[in-house]
Amino acid sequence: MFQAMGVHGPTLSPLASVLLDVVLLSCAFWLLAKPTKRPIFDSLFMATLVLSVSLIRVVMQPIPNVQPVTVAALLVGAQLGARRGAAFAVLVAMISNFFIGDGWWTVFQAAGWASIAIAGSRLSLVTSTGFNLGRACMASVIAAFWFDFIVSFSILDGTISFTEFIIYLGHGLPFDFLHMVGNLTFAIWLGGWFTRLLEEEPSLEEIEFTVVNSHGIDG
Amino acid sequence: MALLFVSLLLVPAIIAQESATPWDDTHSFSWEYDFQTGYISTSPLFTGEQLLVRTSGNDEPAVTAFDLTGNKIWHHSNAASTNNDMSPLLSIQAGQGQCGSWPDMVLVGWTSGLIEALAPSNGTVLWSTQSEVIGWGVTGQLALDGEFVVIPTRQGVGQYCLADGQQQWWTETGLGWRNGVTVDELGYFMGDESGHLWHLNRTGNATSHALQLGKIRHAPLVTQAGILIHAQAAAGSTIAVFNPSNATLLQQIPAGPSPAIPSVRGEYVVTGDSSNLRRLHCTNVCKVIDVIPFHTNGEIGWFDDGQILAPSNLPESNWGIFFIHDQENLTYSPIDVGLYGYGTAAPIQFSVGLTSFTVFGNDQSILRVFSNIEEVETSSLEEFDWGVQGLIFVIFLLLGTSCAFLLSGKREWFWRTSSLLALILVLLIFPDLSNQWSKSFDEQFPEKSSSEEWNEQWPDAWLGTQIVIFEINGVEHSIGGFVGHDDVFSLTQAACKELEIELTSDLTGIGWYVESIDGIEGEGWEFSVDGSKGIISADNSIVNTTSIVRWTPV
Repeated sequence: MFQAMGVHGPTLSPLASVLLDVVLLSCAFWLLAKPTKRPIFDSLFMATLVLSVSLIRVVMQPIPNVQPVTVAALLVGAQLGARRGAAFAVLVAMISNFFIGDGWWTVFQAAGWASIAIAGSRLSLVTSTGFNLGRACMASVIAAFWFDFIVSFSILDGTISFTEFIIYLGHGLPFDFLHMVGNLTFAIWLGGWFTRLLEEEPSLEEIEFTVVNSHGIDG
Repeated sequence: MALLFVSLLLVPAIIAQESATPWDDTHSFSWEYDFQTGYISTSPLFTGEQLLVRTSGNDEPAVTAFDLTGNKIWHHSNAASTNNDMSPLLSIQAGQGQCGSWPDMVLVGWTSGLIEALAPSNGTVLWSTQSEVIGWGVTGQLALDGEFVVIPTRQGVGQYCLADGQQQWWTETGLGWRNGVTVDELGYFMGDESGHLWHLNRTGNATSHALQLGKIRHAPLVTQAGILIHAQAAAGSTIAVFNPSNATLLQQIPAGPSPAIPSVRGEYVVTGDSSNLRRLHCTNVCKVIDVIPFHTNGEIGWFDDGQILAPSNLPESNWGIFFIHDQENLTYSPIDVGLYGYGTAAPIQFSVGLTSFTVFGNDQSILRVFSNIEEVETSSLEEFDWGVQGLIFVIFLLLGTSCAFLLSGKREWFWRTSSLLALILVLLIFPDLSNQWSKSFDEQFPEKSSSEEWNEQWPDAWLGTQIVIFEINGVEHSIGGFVGHDDVFSLTQAACKELEIELTSDLTGIGWYVESIDGIEGEGWEFSVDGSKGIISADNSIVNTTSIVRWTPV
């Protein structure tokens, strides 16, 4: 819906834009911060993931409302947890919008995808038996409408009445439908592969800790 | 795999690009004939393998016949016809009636009041009859009605036998000029210089309606909505729809000065004037569906292939060609046929064998003939669109593999192929789906707010019309007086043209996006219609007949 034309929401001054970016970036760092030091490999992997998905979003931008980021956020949340999923969503929104067009709507896109990542972390999309495709498809369908709904709030600048907002939402339904079909396709084609890609291998320290711990119990 | 996937998704964007073939590329110049003096004020006529052209405004007003290679076959003149002869030639096929039988012939009405039936093969006068002259004689379009021809004379209308030219009756009307006759089930319609619309039954009993809209200088058009006329006033014109059964004016659409002769095909009507060429769709009402800035004041050629060709009646001007795409959009491009200057005669098109001919003539009294050989095999190869064919192949491939996977129990791959197929299909129908949805939505839930108010400083002529306001560098630029625009984009284009403001836009998958206005791009432009913010693309946002559109930079 946010791609509908003629509506941009409140206009930001250059200073407000910078502040907005700083706030978003701070959120991402806060979400990624951890008391224990992360291995450099983890950080590189996260950076690669964010850049790749941002690039795909930029490349696919000419196709109306087909959003690969939505399913990606869902699965990153499912595999890496709510904090890293939300950080991923915020960074992808910021970086891709740097090329597509930055503005007030970036906040809502970041919030939309972050909330989807959090939902993904709670929905048990990946269980001990593997990737649950049916549940992922259901979640991606709901995520399409949820994301578009959240982003639609970006048009509220005090001049739009409730009725106009509802009409705006109604006009966007075909776009929501397209987002939904796109999400389903991504989930079916790439969901399993992407989930395995995100699967965390236990580090040597973790293996050692597990082994020692189990021996201690035995002893 | 990922690359292939992305490529497949981009295919619809590739096939969305259309290629247009310029008229100049498909037509070649055949021959021309320079009459040296006078004007070609009305359309040539092709009949009996010969091309007939009438010239006037010189010492020897005449009808001249040529073969298809440009050789002059015969020449018939009428020195008494001293004014511009603009009554179109009328071809009559051989037949018989109560008055007798008649051969193939061409009827010619002269400004001297003379009406002649000529043999197309050699120009022999088969019969002639004289009508009244009050300064001018016959100037309008004659009409065929069974075994009779109905002739608009200078101050009346008469019915004449085709067999011998015998007058059946003549009824006095108002003074007429270029006022052709239209035949309908109940009789005949015609207009006059005082703005009366006349209806006559087949025995000559007349009823007149004072429309008070201006001079009616064409044959009225019979449409489903009513009788359509384009009346000429002192400073403009009015396209009007009249209901003859209860004598009421149903519609009045303001238009530009000096109207052209309107033309009808089925439910569609084309009108012209010194400002615009319009296309109307007439069912229960006549609705303007296209307005294209173009200066035309004479005849408009509308051909079987849907193309419209009209002369631009300006000094140093040329012809305009208009293409209708799927009955939806009318596009315009100028064509250079090597004739420049004023012109009011419509070109004609006809085919002989595999060759189609287009013939132009204008006020320079030069006739130019173009031909186009229809190379069926070549054109079919040129029209082969590999993008579309490839997409169709992919769709069928996905459909087939989906079925195969379903039947073989490979559910995972069935879901993969069918989801991709669904996505491609949704992307293909999406532009139409989105447009139709928006239109239906707007119709179901019309916006009621109207905070954009009339500015007292605006001229009264803008009252009841469409108005556009541009906020450029803090200054409002307003323009009004527009009619017939259905969407914001069309209205905005017209306003920019009128204000000579540059407008750049880009077509995206969800409609036209306005990139810059008057060179100002900024962070985009947004619009409101009657005070309500636009929430979809400008071309999908509907405007009504009195909408005020405001464009503001973001």
